[in-house]
Amino acid sequence: MFAYLIIALPKTSEFGKMDFRFQTIGFTVRFSSGYLMGIEVKMKNFRWFGWVFGLMTLSWSLAAEVKFEKYHNPEELKTVIQEIARTNPGIVKIHNLVKSAGGTDLDLLEIGPEVAKKEKTVPAVFVAANMEGIVPLASEAALFLVKQLIEKAETRESLSWYILPCGNPDAAARYFARPLIEDPRNASPFNDDKDDAADEDGTEDLDGNGLITQMRVKDPEGMWTSIPGNPRLMKKADWSKGEKGQYKLYPEGLDNDGDGEINEDGPGGVNIGIQFPHLFKFFTADGGLWAGSEKESFALIKFVSEHREIGLTFVFGRANFCLAPPRGGRKGEADLNEIKIPKRHTGFLNADPDKTYTMAEIIEMVKPIVPEGMEVDESMIASFLGLGALVNPLPEDLKFYKQLSEEYKEFLKEKKFDAKRLDPPPDKDGSFELWSYYHLGLPSFAMDFWTLPEIEKEKKEQEITPEKLEEMSDEDFIALGEEKIDAFLKSVGAPAQFKAKQVIESLKGGMMDTKRMAEMLKKMPKPPSEEGADSKEEALLAFSDKELGGKGFVEWKPFKHPTLGDVEIGGPVPFTDSTPPPEKIEFLLNNQVPWIFEITKKMARIHIAKTEAKRLGSDVYEIKAWIENTGYLPYPTAMGQHNKSILPVIVTLTGQGLNIVDGQKRSLIPAIDGYSAQPVTWIVRVDNPAKIEIKASTQTAWSDTKSIDLGGV
Amino acid sequence: MKRVALLCVVILILSGIIPSETAKVTVPLRFDQYYPLEMVYEALQALHEAYPEQTNLEIVGNSEEGRPIYAMTVNIAKTGKALDKPGVYVDGNIHGNEIQGGEICLYLLDYLLGNYGKNEEVTQLMDKNCFYVVPVVNPDGRYHFFVDANTSSSNRSLRIPTDDDHDGLVDEDFPDDLDGDGNICRMRKKDPFGEFKTDPEDPRLMVRVKPGEKGEWTMLGQEGIDNDGDGRVNEDSEGYVDPNRNWGYDWAPPYVQSGAGEYPFSAVGLKAMGTWILTKTNICIGWSFHNYGGMFLRGPSRKGVGEYPRGDIAVYDYIGQQAERITPGYRYMISWKDLYTTYGDSVEWLVQLGGVYGYVGEVFMSESETFVTLEEEQKRDPISEGPMATMGRETRNRERLDYSDHLAMGELYKPWEPFKHPTYGDIEIGGWVKMSGRLSAPFMIKDMVHRNAMSVIFSAKHTPEVSLDVFDVQKVDKNFFRVRTRLSNARAIPTMTYQAQKVNLYPKDILKVSGSNSKVLAGGVLTDPYNDRVNYKKHRPETQFLVVPGFGKVEHQFLVEGKGNLTVLYESRHGGKLEKTIQLK
Repeated sequence: MFAYLIIALPKTSEFGKMDFRFQTIGFTVRFSSGYLMGIEVKMKNFRWFGWVFGLMTLSWSLAAEVKFEKYHNPEELKTVIQEIARTNPGIVKIHNLVKSAGGTDLDLLEIGPEVAKKEKTVPAVFVAANMEGIVPLASEAALFLVKQLIEKAETRESLSWYILPCGNPDAAARYFARPLIEDPRNASPFNDDKDDAADEDGTEDLDGNGLITQMRVKDPEGMWTSIPGNPRLMKKADWSKGEKGQYKLYPEGLDNDGDGEINEDGPGGVNIGIQFPHLFKFFTADGGLWAGSEKESFALIKFVSEHREIGLTFVFGRANFCLAPPRGGRKGEADLNEIKIPKRHTGFLNADPDKTYTMAEIIEMVKPIVPEGMEVDESMIASFLGLGALVNPLPEDLKFYKQLSEEYKEFLKEKKFDAKRLDPPPDKDGSFELWSYYHLGLPSFAMDFWTLPEIEKEKKEQEITPEKLEEMSDEDFIALGEEKIDAFLKSVGAPAQFKAKQVIESLKGGMMDTKRMAEMLKKMPKPPSEEGADSKEEALLAFSDKELGGKGFVEWKPFKHPTLGDVEIGGPVPFTDSTPPPEKIEFLLNNQVPWIFEITKKMARIHIAKTEAKRLGSDVYEIKAWIENTGYLPYPTAMGQHNKSILPVIVTLTGQGLNIVDGQKRSLIPAIDGYSAQPVTWIVRVDNPAKIEIKASTQTAWSDTKSIDLGGV
Repeated sequence: MKRVALLCVVILILSGIIPSETAKVTVPLRFDQYYPLEMVYEALQALHEAYPEQTNLEIVGNSEEGRPIYAMTVNIAKTGKALDKPGVYVDGNIHGNEIQGGEICLYLLDYLLGNYGKNEEVTQLMDKNCFYVVPVVNPDGRYHFFVDANTSSSNRSLRIPTDDDHDGLVDEDFPDDLDGDGNICRMRKKDPFGEFKTDPEDPRLMVRVKPGEKGEWTMLGQEGIDNDGDGRVNEDSEGYVDPNRNWGYDWAPPYVQSGAGEYPFSAVGLKAMGTWILTKTNICIGWSFHNYGGMFLRGPSRKGVGEYPRGDIAVYDYIGQQAERITPGYRYMISWKDLYTTYGDSVEWLVQLGGVYGYVGEVFMSESETFVTLEEEQKRDPISEGPMATMGRETRNRERLDYSDHLAMGELYKPWEPFKHPTYGDIEIGGWVKMSGRLSAPFMIKDMVHRNAMSVIFSAKHTPEVSLDVFDVQKVDKNFFRVRTRLSNARAIPTMTYQAQKVNLYPKDILKVSGSNSKVLAGGVLTDPYNDRVNYKKHRPETQFLVVPGFGKVEHQFLVEGKGNLTVLYESRHGGKLEKTIQLK
């Protein structure tokens, strides 16, 4: 943290003078009793000491003394953000979007060259972090990004950044509270069980370990059983395999309202992370009434909609569009090439109800029927016929997503950061990242920073089975070596004392041979099967055992529950599968966050490649300008083009005494692919020698101006 | 003599006895004219001043241009608090040009308040219900519709600047009232290659030429100039954000639903309305008045939303079919099926997220502008369904013009007049005026507002009327009783819509049984009183959750241990509060 110097003892006027001098440097340090850090300082040394100390604190503040060795709680986050803004006034500004349902500020940082400007002239990148509030690592990543932006001036030279470190502060606060519970809902009161009270039945930490885990109760109606090969884990019993259910599972807690349900109406609320308009799901347990019905999400939607200079978005959370493209395969897609016209409209449209038409064909059919002056376009037809929204990424956009994901994998490989980990969960309906792509038409990227490492499944030694053993000779068997023999013994469930060494001895000594061994082994019971275990839970257990000293999983322990009787409490510790130990934070962020800068380098960038003026007559010229996109990403995305959410490139031609004979003063280029150019031509007439100016402007892909001198010699 | 008479009139006008154009609005209100926005505000004030005890006037929020959206609540305090009674919600003028909803709302208020205490049925109706009335949801639209030059369809939108033609300029090409007559009409130009020629029956009209026939006129389109020089005329006027597509339920972006706005409730006035309406948890029936076509529409607004439960359809049918008789000619229809698909409209939001039975009334039928004898009318073809079907029918235009001439003294149509257009040169401007097509001539307003108000009143009669009865108490043992209760509803609307029950929108009605000296051991719904069959509730039997169906009842049985007083308390969002105390002895 930052130190404040308040010269507390104006014992002599000398002190007073010191005070003023320190204040002009711009910082203060708090101490008491005339002692500086407990060291009595002589007056004459004071000034020297003060300057050195002052410079030290100054350099600390410039480097944003943010460390990434722990997770910042909401108060710490706020303090850090405010300090960063305070010490970087020219380039950082805090926008206080709104107060959450629970009263916490949603602070958005603007970092870039135009914080003081109301009218923006450069594009912006928007980064939303921890929208569900249960991914503390995402908020750390946002802070890490902020630090990088401040340190690397080139990243914000002609690009603005909007960063929201925590989109769901009410939920995020729970990571730092005890008992620990993972719950993405904000603090809006919500009567989940629709009885006569709201939020009256939440979880309780019955065993007092500071964690909310699970309870399992032996119950004749129970559907769960523990997995024989991995008894800490549970699975649903499969009667067809002869398995019998034994347990019912509940979250840890009491039936506070005596309605027979446990913890069915906890505090809150709405998951802000699924409150966005694309594929918003109505009537869910925690999605809220409608998209943007909560203050947090509405303020964010409003801000993003008002800032049309935003040309690229990132979401830090659990989904990942960088390792793999956003998923498709959703049903309900409007196929614009095979539209069936509903029977009730086929009459006056003169169409065949059994045939399919393309959008273009339908537009032609409708044009003569509508009143004059009415524009007939795709949007009008789509809404009239009730065609619906697109729900899968467009093929042209998938191309760049795919290419970028290949490059990202290479990027990580080069850093040797490609240890196998569990796949990030898929994007959620109603999430910010989907809204950004499907409604705003922007290149939308989602990034997660950690999942559990994949466990290496020990390959069953296929080389030796009891059947094969029968065929083998003693010598061949011994020749396999101790390691393979040990593995084989384990895989057939041999008792622990049965080690390879002893087996080899007994074979050599003739007390045993392979055939007899095979028979014995065939008769032995099979090892308990691990079948049915959820791979994610297995990975969690392995990680907990290996790297957390077992602290990621609470062993099942008996407990006497007031209404359920004898139960056992245990289960995975919340956040274990999403939030790594703090020591890993810096390493994870250091290796992955910088990829964002690789993507921003690829943003579409409009540039006037070349201009040409050809004299046709005495004062008539043909002007040609090539408008190019020097970036890799298209302007706009195919989705942005389809849903008309991004403006075309506006090319204007101006000049004194300029008469445009052919062409438009304002031309519109709807789209320019990455690394492509498009020409615009005019025929103009100038009375006198004139300087004409061609400007190509966009809000999200920069602008460019070129001038041409016409006339004269 | 004439001069003296004139002088008298002048004096009388100056002294205010003969009302001039700008006279103050008085109660009872008059319904022989349309109310410009300021007059609506004055009318609401006048009603509130005339009936201060029964009315509450509040500002729900402001529009984009800062105009207040007023809501008037009518509640008879001596029969209970507003939220304890079933609520009837009525609004109008969501679309700026669809002004009749304003008049209907004002008429409803004026009629109810004026007849309270004088007409027994009205008195009972107002004692039972609480009315929430919002005459103008889109004040900017109403204001600009009256004050600016418009077609009958323009100024529908909200004043949210939107780049409709996707050219980087916002709202840059409004229609232009070139001849300054307060209407945006049509432009035509003499052209031998034109597709139209003067109608031989009426020179004010045109008909299409047959193939090979020499033309006379080309239709240039709507009155206006290409303000932004992009080759199109009037393509980017106010908005376009359709206030009836911006609501939060089933909202879709503009490329799917034209005019949806950028995101749900991006309109400030509508967001205020949504927030306000949800606080009125007692609203069980809602009406939203639009024009035109003569319809009472129920949802769903889109097939994909899913058909309403049968129990709800029965309620909609009951009221809708009566409404068709109150206003003969209007048809009771299903929004998506008989009209068209919409996303994000206000009534679907009311239904799905407010738990309300919601109707859209599309008032005024241009078919009513006839000029035939009764026999001629009965002989001709029935008017075909759908709004598109009545476009461009030449015989219809002639008849409408006759109507305009003889019943409105020519006020509905502007004859063609020459004009010099900056781009097109010599043209003529003419056509149907703003206050026509979707609006009846003023003399028909009273009939329209009364009939539509009567439909609202019919539905208000059928808000839940719940009675609580402890109809059987049996002493089973010394300290053990069997108590049977009945909640019955004498009206058509249940205490909760079936759709709201289906999605668990909010808690159901509550029946609580308690006594200072007794305990409820068991309780549940009595399904067969003769055979004592009860669906006993497992936990907390003293608190039962239920819904009382329309024209129906629900009975419960409780097994109570103890003695002394026993209180049965019923609380319902739409059914009010009831309480009965009995003695167990």
